[in-house]
Amino acid sequence: MSAPTISPPAVGLPGGPRSETRRERKRRERLEEQDANIPVEFYGLKRGTVSVLTACCVLFAIFTLIPIVWIIINSTKTQANIFQSFGFWFARPFEFFHTFGNLFKDVDGDGTYAHWFGNTVLYSAVAGVGATVLAAYGGYGFARFEFRGARLFFAVILAGLLVPITLVAVPLYLVYAKVHLINSIWGMIMPSMVSPVGLYLMRTYVDLSIPREILDAARIDGASEMRIFHRIALPLMVPGLLTVLLLSIATTWNNYILPLIIFSTNDLFPTTVGMGLWLQHAGNSGDTNLFPLLVMGGLMTIIPMIALFAVLQRYWRGGLLLGSVAN
Amino acid sequence: MTGAALPLARRRSAYARRRGRSGLTFVTPFMIVFTLFMVVPLAYAIYQSLYTTKLIGGTTFSGFANYATVLRSGPFWGGVARVIIFGAIQIPIMLAIAFFFATIFDLGVARWGRVFRAIFFVPFAVPIVVSSLMWGFLFDPSYGPFNRIMNTAGFHNFNWLSSGLMIPAIIIIAIWEWTGYNSVILYTALKSVPRDVIEAAILDDTPLWKIILRIKLPLVRPAIVMLVFINTIGALQLFVEPYILNNYQAGVVTNTWTPVIDIYSTAISNGEYQLGAAMAVVLAFVIIAISVTSLTFRNRRRDFG
Repeated sequence: MSAPTISPPAVGLPGGPRSETRRERKRRERLEEQDANIPVEFYGLKRGTVSVLTACCVLFAIFTLIPIVWIIINSTKTQANIFQSFGFWFARPFEFFHTFGNLFKDVDGDGTYAHWFGNTVLYSAVAGVGATVLAAYGGYGFARFEFRGARLFFAVILAGLLVPITLVAVPLYLVYAKVHLINSIWGMIMPSMVSPVGLYLMRTYVDLSIPREILDAARIDGASEMRIFHRIALPLMVPGLLTVLLLSIATTWNNYILPLIIFSTNDLFPTTVGMGLWLQHAGNSGDTNLFPLLVMGGLMTIIPMIALFAVLQRYWRGGLLLGSVAN
Repeated sequence: MTGAALPLARRRSAYARRRGRSGLTFVTPFMIVFTLFMVVPLAYAIYQSLYTTKLIGGTTFSGFANYATVLRSGPFWGGVARVIIFGAIQIPIMLAIAFFFATIFDLGVARWGRVFRAIFFVPFAVPIVVSSLMWGFLFDPSYGPFNRIMNTAGFHNFNWLSSGLMIPAIIIIAIWEWTGYNSVILYTALKSVPRDVIEAAILDDTPLWKIILRIKLPLVRPAIVMLVFINTIGALQLFVEPYILNNYQAGVVTNTWTPVIDIYSTAISNGEYQLGAAMAVVLAFVIIAISVTSLTFRNRRRDFG
């Protein structure tokens, strides 16, 4: 029995039925959920249990939203009000647009937020797409071919799961110093493309969702391996691919230590490192008004990620991490 | 199905041998980038860690001298102990909360489950730099809103970021960051528990807590082990939260507060990169040792179960 999350994708099948509209999908998902759940009445719960558990959820939701609400409210405040007014309510004057405009200026000589934001987008997009492409080919290769050294290679990659980028950052710096990759955008992008987790997810996904029989049928028809991959396998891999894309974009977007180590030119900073620098300077630089910028910059760093997850949420197959462990 | 497929499988492996080269073609791009940007740097770090640079005399081979320095370094192991304590408290609390909510969502015994699941997942999209920044403001002893609320309620000022409370503060931040993510993964695992097992239990009048703890929990144990594993690796490389919070309360987070901060300040700030490389290798070994121990533990448990 395969897990219900890894149902075959309904999108992108060449020549398949037209994909359903949003409303149809919502309704189908709701029906499926009802069908999968055993009706609450059967559990023999005491009256009020549902309310108590809902209250627990509400409490944790409040805990989760506290910082988010705080950052939204405080993005409208002046520096003085950020410190003096109550953190969870608005205070005049309303400075949102003024502060937002300052994101496009070099306020204290450290650099411009808008520029850092552009860097973050560039690094995350290129590294995200690159990581996904590498994981797609690699995962398919490991899942559907037997070749000399496959086991050994895969074992090495699994070992790579244990060595996260935080730990590789200093070794990378040592190599970069030798080959002049310090202050190069490729020094940031290339290691972000290395995603052992992504490869592992793709291999699991291919194993679960692409029957060998389809591939064999295509081979008998005389299709080349590359053609089989691009025309048959790839469309079936879409949800898995989007999960890997989302994961590697988020990882690069959030990365702090690698750019911190390998970039010394402020122009190359992503937002995380730029804001770290601002925070360092904000304390000891008097009235340069860096705190409102930090709050606004933080908010602007969060929004695109939340939007991306909201849009791609239905493709998210986090459960793939469990794939072969659960079996 | 397996029985009938035997001859077919043999034929397929003949195909497979011929297709060996295509298989290599598919994995080669990944392997090249992986080797250049992961294997080579690590190998080079190990190589570097065997040398020492002196002001007079230049760089010389020094064998395991750097390792001896690391192994004897009190502050380094102090940092390792600190992150282990941090993980030992944070991970169980977080997983308990995550399992609690995953169970609620799986059973559908709370209203608006879909909405809550989405809300709980939000922090996963927040960069740790930003979440540390936000919580730093919230915790700040002089102007943070938490202290303001406590003052209004008649309590004394409470310094969340003092040396005694820095670890608890980071634990709260980490729980905030990761509970939703872990909960979603557990939810997926719980969903794959066959429905008829639960239905049978209900027909036997098994109380709900027994269904959860005696049937569901054991069935998702592999998922929990996996999460313990991932989170432990994460906890051991704690870096961003203390490094950022240090800006709010100078002096609490020292240069050796966590192993990764230690590696960073030794290799980058002080320029002793060979010693830093040795530290990174030692930390990698600590991580591998803990991971392997937990995996053997899991396998042994499974043999008996």
